[in-house]
Amino acid sequence: MIVCVAVVGHQNNPLYIQSFTDADDALKLHHIVHCSLDVVDERVNNPKKSGPTLNETFLGLLYPTENYKVYGYLTNTKVKFILVTTDLDVKDADVRNFFRRFHAAYVDAISNPFHEPGKKITSKTFAERVSTIVKSFGMSSTG
Amino acid sequence: MYCNRLYANKPELAASRIDAIGYQVGHQLSERYTMERPRFTDHLDAIKFICKDFWSELFKKQIDNLKTNHRGTFVLQDNRFRWVSRMSLDPSENGDLSQENAEAAENKAVQEPNMHLHFSCGVIKGALHNLGIACAVSADPSQLPACSFVVRIKP
Amino acid sequence: MPPVGPRSGDAIFANVERVNAELFTLTYGAIVRQLLTDLEEVEEVNKQLDQMGYNIGIRLIDEFLAKSNVSRCVDFKETAEVIAKVGFKMFLGVTASVTNWDADGTCCSIVLEDNPLVDFVELPDTCQGLYYCNILSGVVRGALEMVSMKTEISWIRDMLRGDDAFELQVKLLKQIPEEYPYKDDE
Repeated sequence: MIVCVAVVGHQNNPLYIQSFTDADDALKLHHIVHCSLDVVDERVNNPKKSGPTLNETFLGLLYPTENYKVYGYLTNTKVKFILVTTDLDVKDADVRNFFRRFHAAYVDAISNPFHEPGKKITSKTFAERVSTIVKSFGMSSTG
Repeated sequence: MYCNRLYANKPELAASRIDAIGYQVGHQLSERYTMERPRFTDHLDAIKFICKDFWSELFKKQIDNLKTNHRGTFVLQDNRFRWVSRMSLDPSENGDLSQENAEAAENKAVQEPNMHLHFSCGVIKGALHNLGIACAVSADPSQLPACSFVVRIKP
Repeated sequence: MPPVGPRSGDAIFANVERVNAELFTLTYGAIVRQLLTDLEEVEEVNKQLDQMGYNIGIRLIDEFLAKSNVSRCVDFKETAEVIAKVGFKMFLGVTASVTNWDADGTCCSIVLEDNPLVDFVELPDTCQGLYYCNILSGVVRGALEMVSMKTEISWIRDMLRGDDAFELQVKLLKQIPEEYPYKDDE
């Protein structure tokens, strides 16, 4: 189950962060997201030959913690998407599919003429779409 | 569709505003049109994207010629730039107007191509900025219907 | 080849040279935002959008008459139908319907269930008084004025304000006699 998703701007400024747990662990999740940003920077600046193809937006598993797996994605416009899940057996294809849908939702959100680039995403439509995408994570391989 | 006219009918909107409108649009479109592709490795890679994919999405054709001085200046030439060729070749555009509007139409005829170019420059600039490339963009319409866009990357 | 008889809005929409739909939507959005920045007052933006629409409407009518081949409409009722069925389809790519006629046939509603202008748009709390699509009311008003019908147009429903459709009320104020400057020369 996905417990947290985040959108982070190119100066590591948070644009959107949402946790999906009943437990009161938002702070911990935010910390995990924060730590993952360094891993993204490192991954992008020193690409591993064994990792995903050079310059692919999908960055793969950033790091596993005891209870979570953290995945990253970096757009061409240097915006980071972070996904934190409690599933320990995650299919790569599911994560890629998640990020593709998430990216599409993000693109529509920033296409709102009243959205200011670099500012937090406050769109209700975006929040609803993200919630739908999160809920359907891993359920099937629908596009 | 007829979006060109939306602002063409508004000559009071100064060039800088038209540029700003284009900038916002280019900024948004670059996010959309780079969605399913790997990140660019360098400036040339991003400029090529503007010439090919980006231009194709907007005009159903690619930039015809790309030149560079290898010191941060790129010249993108479209041999038949749709937004100005339409203006200069379509006589109905300024015809058939009632008399009250004749004068306004004359003013417009002078301003319209310029407005389109300001808009285009804004779009290119907004797209490149969003891809992490700070630059200035100007247009050279001296050989209509061909049009060149000069991109100067800021060091 | 000049087509014979009136053409449907679909046919014309399919044939005219169009700009990319996203470009159209985003450009309109950027214009509205720029107007808000410049004019600050939402009310002023509404007025400006209406005026821009009016300027477009008085020019679009010629293109509309040329491309659609519709014959001159006999009355307001027929005109409203043509605008909704052919005009909106031709220029916006969507079909509108005409409803809510009053008893003497001088007031009706044009209803749009789908409107490409508002894709992606969410009004911020500071702009709740904005009629985002006010350009459309101006276009209709301008176009009708060129066929000698003076109208007053107002929004009844607006999807950006939570309604289930867009509804423009068109009220015919007066029909100007047929001596309008439609000169072939000049």
